[in-house]
Amino acid sequence: MTGKADDAGREPAPADHLPGLESRLFDIPETKFIEVVRLLERVRDHPDVRQTFAAIRPRLIQVRPGRRPTLKRVLCMPFEDVLESVGGVDVPPGRIERRVIDPAWRLVTECGDEALIDQLDRQVQEMAPGNLNALRNVGRRLWPMAAKAIRQATQEMVQGAVVLLQGDEELRRQVLDVAAFLEIGLTVEALKDALTPKPLPALDDHHVAAIEQAVQAVARQSTGAVHHLLLAAASRLATPADLLAVLNDMDFGKARREQPAIFARLGGLMVTNLEERTARLDGPGDGQGGGQGGGQGGGKSRAAAAIAPEDAVAIAERLVASVNTTSAVMDFVAEPLYRKRLESVTAAVRAMLAGAVLDSAPDGILTAVPAPAVSGRPVPVNENAQLAAEDHARALRRCEGLADVLDLQKPLRDAMASMERGLTARADALLAQYSKTTGIPGDAETAEINLFYALRLLELIAGPAKADRLRTAIMAATGEFAEDGE
Amino acid sequence: MLKGAIEYAPSTFEERGAAVAFTTPLLSQTRVRRGDRSKLEVLIPSLSQGLGIYVVAWRAVPDMVSMTMHDRYLHDLIVKEDACSPYEIRRATLKAARRGLAGPQAAQAARRVLEEDDEQGTLTHYLLILAILKAVGLESPEMLKAGIDTDEGQRLTRQLMTRAAESLRMDATLLYARLADVAAVAAPVGLARSPRTGRLARGLNDLKSFRDSMTAWAQDVPSDAGPVAEFCAAVAQHSIDIGDTVLGDFHRRIEAIGPLLRDWDDAFIRVRGQAARMAWLLDGWSHITGAWEVAQGEDRQQQAATVNDLFRILPLLPRREAGRDFVEDAKQVKVVHRRSVRMLEDWRMGRMDIDAIRRIESVKAFAP
Repeated sequence: MTGKADDAGREPAPADHLPGLESRLFDIPETKFIEVVRLLERVRDHPDVRQTFAAIRPRLIQVRPGRRPTLKRVLCMPFEDVLESVGGVDVPPGRIERRVIDPAWRLVTECGDEALIDQLDRQVQEMAPGNLNALRNVGRRLWPMAAKAIRQATQEMVQGAVVLLQGDEELRRQVLDVAAFLEIGLTVEALKDALTPKPLPALDDHHVAAIEQAVQAVARQSTGAVHHLLLAAASRLATPADLLAVLNDMDFGKARREQPAIFARLGGLMVTNLEERTARLDGPGDGQGGGQGGGQGGGKSRAAAAIAPEDAVAIAERLVASVNTTSAVMDFVAEPLYRKRLESVTAAVRAMLAGAVLDSAPDGILTAVPAPAVSGRPVPVNENAQLAAEDHARALRRCEGLADVLDLQKPLRDAMASMERGLTARADALLAQYSKTTGIPGDAETAEINLFYALRLLELIAGPAKADRLRTAIMAATGEFAEDGE
Repeated sequence: MLKGAIEYAPSTFEERGAAVAFTTPLLSQTRVRRGDRSKLEVLIPSLSQGLGIYVVAWRAVPDMVSMTMHDRYLHDLIVKEDACSPYEIRRATLKAARRGLAGPQAAQAARRVLEEDDEQGTLTHYLLILAILKAVGLESPEMLKAGIDTDEGQRLTRQLMTRAAESLRMDATLLYARLADVAAVAAPVGLARSPRTGRLARGLNDLKSFRDSMTAWAQDVPSDAGPVAEFCAAVAQHSIDIGDTVLGDFHRRIEAIGPLLRDWDDAFIRVRGQAARMAWLLDGWSHITGAWEVAQGEDRQQQAATVNDLFRILPLLPRREAGRDFVEDAKQVKVVHRRSVRMLEDWRMGRMDIDAIRRIESVKAFAP
């Protein structure tokens, strides 16, 4: 970090210095970044510092510095897993928007037990970062009080709440969700320990047992809170819909009677969540809202082109897994509307994949192979372009696993065949030019590496058996292994 | 062509064979050795079903396994160069990677490592000249000031080396020839006083980090792969014990450069043997330590899968080199290993698994 940035770190208050700092905070070494974050945290309530934190959130997520604990952060612990992520397609089911945190916190501080808040705040300020048990001990006293304060303020619509919520019904609903999570805060925290690591790749028996135990504990408190507990559990899973598959075999204890209704509500939420995630494929500003994902190319396809092919396939794999699980378990509900909505999700994923991987393949793969130069001297392959082309080719191959469910067999077959033809033609052109480079050591080596890179792309697209014809031709042209070694 | 699965309990390093960094998952880290009538043959570990080994004639491998283009090239290169020592196999592997056949990142890494090898050779040569001059009391500040890569520096060096040869009672040409031999043997290991640690000494350090990391992982992560990780750490520890002894002795003998050059016939055979033993001892470990480093950025489930993959290719010490029967010990671990191994991966079923190939290529780019 430069000396100037250091100065900015030590004196973070002047607002006009901060915008420049934000961009530099992405480039400085990790240790310096953590140091600056600690300094900024001392004045974190300043509006510009809050804006800086919002801007650097991607790096905060990546570096995860042990943040200085604050009482506001303790408040968020029970619902932190359902907070919407910054950017990306994945959204937890029943997500809470980050804009909800500040109004919820203000309702707690304005309508809650002031003496208790002051006392807990002092305790938190003396804590070391990462002391989870101590934070949970504070939460044990904070969460019930905060939940009560939020409920009273919103239900009775006291003056502060009216101003804060400003007739925003969605905000009001999410603030009440926050209260629901706070009421079961301790159980949620215990469940987090059982559902580790996040995201949990698969639900084992002991995970299911832990969820069942938590459901029963919460049901004793309030059957209405089971839904929120299950949202917290689902948000820790790599495929949240996996939870639906185990719900019917669970004993809900005191909420046994409500079990079908809870299942139906959660199932509906999963479908909505899938719609939200596919709507995000369009990018901000182009969202068509839940349930609209028509997947007719157009906007979705254009927006998809901005997603890296490998990321697109990974997103598609997750969404397809969720659709499969959801659709299998939603048969219980026998609600035709769900099936239709899930079909729309599938169509949206199909359009995204077609745009990001199939349609962009000629640009992404073929252009990495240099065309023969007019001068006859080979132009070295751009290795970054080769790297990207190889990633694209792998993504195309991975689409094979999704082709059946997304009805992409023919477009995929066509794209693969077109890539195979294109790569073979380009490699043949390079091979024809190769003879002109013999006798010029540097040129010959460059031409050979170009041929080998083209060979690799062909291997990734068409497999080794088909690529072997080109390999044999290259080896014959270079004469490298002309004499038998044994 | 195929001798069938045999019990794998080699007596010597040569019998164990040298590990080849193939990118075809089924062939990754298989070992090549000289078999009957000096023909090359390859030892393919069985697919997690046990410790049996398939012995296959080297030439027959492409007919038996669908290989990547990289591996077809490397296979042909090894045939052409008749390579089967760790040094020869490594050079062939770097040559194949430099051609771009394992991807751009592996090509860049191979180019860098080949350059480093050259630099290490030059540095070792230079440090040995200084050691020889010091041994005969001919240290020259002028030579150091001029620098060995200048005309003046080289003139001064030649002058001093001629005097050193007289002092050692040998012809200057012979002194230069012996110097070149010692440098060639010492460069991969590295000199004790060198500012840059040699490749094999670095490999031994990496192995120590690997042992510590594996031990900690086995303790911290509750997993079926825990005992497998402990076994990996134990094999590493045994190799470290031997490596530390060999390296210490090697450095002592090279430090005594005067006696080494005078008692050449016996002394040089000994240091050359020690360098070769270091190379054999660490052969196959760089892929393992590299793969474990790469796995540090992954989740614990993937790490457990990596531990199981590494168990399959672990360089168990030959019987004559170890006081402990690792083959027998590995059989005990095998039971646990079977329980947690990922059996239905594409590459185990003989299909081209592009993700598994990519993982191997990432390791090649990280630890060429």
